[in-house]
Amino acid sequence: MAHKKRYALVIDSKKCIDCKSCVVACRAENNVPLRYSRNWIDEEHRGEWPRLLAAYEPGQCQQCESPACVRVCPTGASYQRPDGIVAINETECVGCRYCIIACPYDARFFREDKGVVEKCDFCAKRVDRGEVPACVETCPSKVRVFGDFNDPNGPVRRLLESRRYYTKKPEAGTGPQIYYLL
Amino acid sequence: MDRRRFLTWTAGGAVGATVAASISHFEPFLKKREAGATRVEVPTTCEMCVNKCSVIAVVENGVIHKLNPNPASPKSRGMLCARGNAGIQQVYEPARLKRPLIRAGERGEGKWRPATWDEAWDFTANKLLGVKDKYGPQGSLWSSTESFQETFFKNLGLSFGSPNIVRHPTLCLASVNLAYSATFGTVPAFDLANAKYVIMSGANRFESFITPDTMDLIESTTERKARLIYLDPRFTVTAAKADEWYPIKPGTDLAFVLAMLNVIIGESRHDKEFVNTYTVGFDKLIDHIKSFTPEWAEQETEIPAKHIVRIAREFSDAAPRAVYYAGRRSSWYREDFQTRRAQAILNAIVGSWDREGGMVPNGKIALGEYDFFPWDDPVAPRIDEIDKNFPMAAKGDGAYLKLRENVLAGAPYPVKAWMIHKQDPMNALPDQAKTIQMLQQMDFVGVIDVQMSDTAWYADVIFPESTYLERQDPVEAMSGIWPVVVYRQPVIKPLHDTKPTLEIVQGLAKRLNLSQYFDFTIEQWVNAQVKELPIEAPLEYLKKHGIYVPPDFPKYGTTLNSEHRFVTKSGKIEIFSDRLQEFGYDPLPLYHPPAQSPPGTLRLITGRKAYFTHANSTNNPWLNAFDPENRLWLNPATADSLGVADGQLVEAASTAGAVRLKVKVTQEIRPDCVFMLHGFGKRAKWQRLVAGVGACDAQLLETAWDKVSGNAALHETFVKVRKV
Repeated sequence: MAHKKRYALVIDSKKCIDCKSCVVACRAENNVPLRYSRNWIDEEHRGEWPRLLAAYEPGQCQQCESPACVRVCPTGASYQRPDGIVAINETECVGCRYCIIACPYDARFFREDKGVVEKCDFCAKRVDRGEVPACVETCPSKVRVFGDFNDPNGPVRRLLESRRYYTKKPEAGTGPQIYYLL
Repeated sequence: MDRRRFLTWTAGGAVGATVAASISHFEPFLKKREAGATRVEVPTTCEMCVNKCSVIAVVENGVIHKLNPNPASPKSRGMLCARGNAGIQQVYEPARLKRPLIRAGERGEGKWRPATWDEAWDFTANKLLGVKDKYGPQGSLWSSTESFQETFFKNLGLSFGSPNIVRHPTLCLASVNLAYSATFGTVPAFDLANAKYVIMSGANRFESFITPDTMDLIESTTERKARLIYLDPRFTVTAAKADEWYPIKPGTDLAFVLAMLNVIIGESRHDKEFVNTYTVGFDKLIDHIKSFTPEWAEQETEIPAKHIVRIAREFSDAAPRAVYYAGRRSSWYREDFQTRRAQAILNAIVGSWDREGGMVPNGKIALGEYDFFPWDDPVAPRIDEIDKNFPMAAKGDGAYLKLRENVLAGAPYPVKAWMIHKQDPMNALPDQAKTIQMLQQMDFVGVIDVQMSDTAWYADVIFPESTYLERQDPVEAMSGIWPVVVYRQPVIKPLHDTKPTLEIVQGLAKRLNLSQYFDFTIEQWVNAQVKELPIEAPLEYLKKHGIYVPPDFPKYGTTLNSEHRFVTKSGKIEIFSDRLQEFGYDPLPLYHPPAQSPPGTLRLITGRKAYFTHANSTNNPWLNAFDPENRLWLNPATADSLGVADGQLVEAASTAGAVRLKVKVTQEIRPDCVFMLHGFGKRAKWQRLVAGVGACDAQLLETAWDKVSGNAALHETFVKVRKV
């Protein structure tokens, strides 16, 4: 039965080895200049020698269900596609940067060279060609799983039904669509 | 913009510090794109490291837009790492080598004049012939590192009459190769996709990628299919992901392995049927390991005896899906060969041979060969006298450090011309001062490369090679549990006045009167290679897919029948080795404690980050941004005793030299060690992001090598650190 698509990402951070492949793949795919980045890897190091822990966690736009950035955008440049992808129409963006302030995830940045705001759009062009986002495809440890949340037999739902997970800052009320496995 | 934030730890509140990302101000080459662009996808093979991953290049309007992983490869397992993705920058790097250059100032001064190809060839041929007249063909040295066109370069040296071909293995994995060959008659692969218990000494697989081992191990470890025991004086990413990590006292891994043997044999946990059928010398091992108790090993390694006992038991219980992983770059200590031998023996006695999840002899695909005109073998003995110094070593690859000693001594004869193919001895060899001496005593130095390496910086002539995305290469058959044939074809036309190695070699061959040995085109060579592949129209197939994956792999158990003869003297797996005894080495691995740091010194250890390949991609802007400057890792206790704080400048000095760099105070290293990343503090100013930035480890590392293989021993250097 046909259903409305809703793209989402599942991230299994414990597989992340901080190799930065996703960061470079995104830079190449989306022509992101070096001083900016649409995705990143957070890291945390704890403990005292020799009882140590380190963890790595990929981050990017959370592709919210009710995106605060879209709500505050005065021109409609930030918009949500029917498939759930939150994108930016550069020609409509006036660079007011309200969206940067509104985003609970600090996922947006202002490009001085173009005078517009930019962020991860799940590689919408690739997705429209039937490919997965560059960060998903290139990853050596396949940390990210991309798919249609509304497909009950798809990889996203299968993972979420079999594993425990959480979302980032659910209290912000924006309904983030990136699910982090525990 | 600082992109790094604290994690929310699922176990509780977050503590600890994040590392502020320093972001370079360099603007990358911006690709101009227009709507309605032509878009083609070309399958090819990566050359950003040695793994040869399968890539699909997306080319828009003649500009490389993106390099994607090719999912068809069972080697790269559908991934492309940060370096692979940053390959675009190698092509569009503004300061890459764009035309032949001839030195205009002093060596290392960095003054060049552009030359035509004819000029560069004439100049070089003239110098080489001059050296040949005066010193004989053995007066020339030809050094190279594994790459698809390396064979043409090597053949030029050999047909010129020089016995002095020196390759990378003795800076890399020669001790592993020799230890496994001495034991099994071959170097096996490790089936990490199916192993249940993996022990790893220092082979930081999550930051030092080997395909498919890295991906298989991540999957096995994080999906809890395998238990990973990891030994390393440094808390690496692999340590962070391992089930157990032991910050072993450096250089004592052999004691750990011997104690495991002691437990397994003492408790009769070895695979008796396998040992009886396939090995020789086990009876001698029984007595040999009696004194190597876990309690003794605890004193040496600082790993508690009770854990050694438990690990030994778990390991033998998991066999044959249990491996002590060999690793790659095994150039650590003077006793490396024996450490690797002991690991090989441990794997053998639990029967982890040629079975799923164990060690597996490499599957191979045969390629055809182009029949070129044969030349006479070089007459002179090798300059490194490898037959005398390392009688068991692979002769054709040479022993790099001994070779340098002999060149510097001018004995047994003078070597006065050095041709270098895509290798950077200035950074790859320890003790840079000696490498500079070696370069300076040459009458001629010629370099073929894609970028201005520190070695090219000291050359007389530089031949610019086209990058891997601009040239047609020979086909490469990669052996392994999943053997493949990979294909590299140009995805764009060369941007500059560069040539592939074959054409560079042919230009020289013509002037050296050696043309008859290189009288073919790359197409003829490739056709001869692929014509016997068991597929229809093999060349068209490779052009379209970029890779050929034979259907009948993996194969397990091909050597597991009593008729099988291993390529060893006895025809069996040699636990006790007569050959080693004949050459005066320990026929069973005997423990010789490593040198201890003199008071007031710290052991310098070396290692990797997943986004840098040795010293050669630290100047890639997309990669450099992650670590723009190397720093000296110091444990807080050590930093306190030296009175230095994080970020302060220190001087680190060994008997080889002294460098200055900033300190990184971190819990993640033993208090008796220091660590620094490779590939910084470069001399070549064209490497603008790393020239004079941070410090060069090769300036500190002292000359030392493994006794049996001649492999460089890079962890035998002790440094004094002081605040400046």
